[in-house]
Amino acid sequence: MSEEYWLADSEARVLGPIGLEVITTLHARGKLLDVRAVSRDGRKFVPLREMPELQAVLSAPVTVTDAQRAQEEATRQIREWLASIQTRSSHEIFKVPQPASRDAWRAAFFALVHRYVPSRLPPDTTAELRLACEDAFLALSERMVEVERQFRTAATSLPPPPSIPAVEPPPTARIAHRNGVAQISLGLRRGDARPFTQDLEHSWQTDCLYVASNERLSPGTPAEIAVGFEGHVTQLHASGRVMAARVGGFTVRLLNLGEDQRALIRTWVARSTMK
Amino acid sequence: MALPEVLIVDDDQLIRAMVRDALADVPCDIREADSGDAALAVIAERNPAVVLLDLVMPGKSGLDVLKSLKGTATRVLVLSALDTEALVQQALASGAHGFLAKPIHPLDVQNLVRGALEAARS
Repeated sequence: MSEEYWLADSEARVLGPIGLEVITTLHARGKLLDVRAVSRDGRKFVPLREMPELQAVLSAPVTVTDAQRAQEEATRQIREWLASIQTRSSHEIFKVPQPASRDAWRAAFFALVHRYVPSRLPPDTTAELRLACEDAFLALSERMVEVERQFRTAATSLPPPPSIPAVEPPPTARIAHRNGVAQISLGLRRGDARPFTQDLEHSWQTDCLYVASNERLSPGTPAEIAVGFEGHVTQLHASGRVMAARVGGFTVRLLNLGEDQRALIRTWVARSTMK
Repeated sequence: MALPEVLIVDDDQLIRAMVRDALADVPCDIREADSGDAALAVIAERNPAVVLLDLVMPGKSGLDVLKSLKGTATRVLVLSALDTEALVQQALASGAHGFLAKPIHPLDVQNLVRGALEAARS
């Protein structure tokens, strides 16, 4: 089995274990220009000179003439491009349609900027090309910051959500007291069945009625109920007892309801629900 | 149901941020590590479904991490600027399930991770 090595650069970043063949290939591509220490086990690192076989590989000349020419050309192109984008809109630069979502902007930004990220440039990048890439990275980042700022501004200047229509308060009962009995009178407007449906625990289905009132009646208080229905001549008259205190009112259990009374309530609730 | 976890391992914070951003639409929980040693600690604790792994890092290298994961169910995708054929082959032989050359493109990251998550599920 061929020997394997770990290589550390000037920032103590480690690559390995890799064989001599891979190291030779990477070096020939100009990818290993900053090797400072080497190791055979990934733990104990020594200076490169202490491993002659590696030093021989890594000190071999790298043909950079063509690479240098390519970098000069790349630098020239980036400079030209930087000059040209100064008068162009961000839509043109990032090639995103108008309008575009924030995700589309970000994807376009990352697709364009990745080639200029300064920290990811190859170690053998010339100073001129590195500077041009940094300028391009900065220019694109500034544009993107502006785009993000516009999205934030748009989000905060959106019109307020439509207000929830005011809900008509439930009909307030008139309450009088006679001989310890609460005389409760309630008028329902057409389509309003809330006194029969509002209290889910004690609704019309269990012969109960919610009474909106600022007056607090103790549970057990006997009551005489009179409910008027808008558009109906018939009124509901029933006796009952206060069942439970609720926020803004109380619930009454209607006692001894007849079938015609239940039918009246049921019909009213059904018509109100269908409204 | 808990989302699968994806671990991004790179000593470069910018690369981690770019990868995280690229995965914004992929249903997964993302964790990060900035070194090989930190990656191994997170892997031991969280057992992520997918690891995106840089090769050159302080401490333990990506290949070291890769070797310690060989034979496990975790899918490892290598991210590296050292995209020579020999190194790609070595990474794959060491147990990597994919290789992505830096500089990375967000869509490539998305596609690779989606595929790896599918494979991890099946």
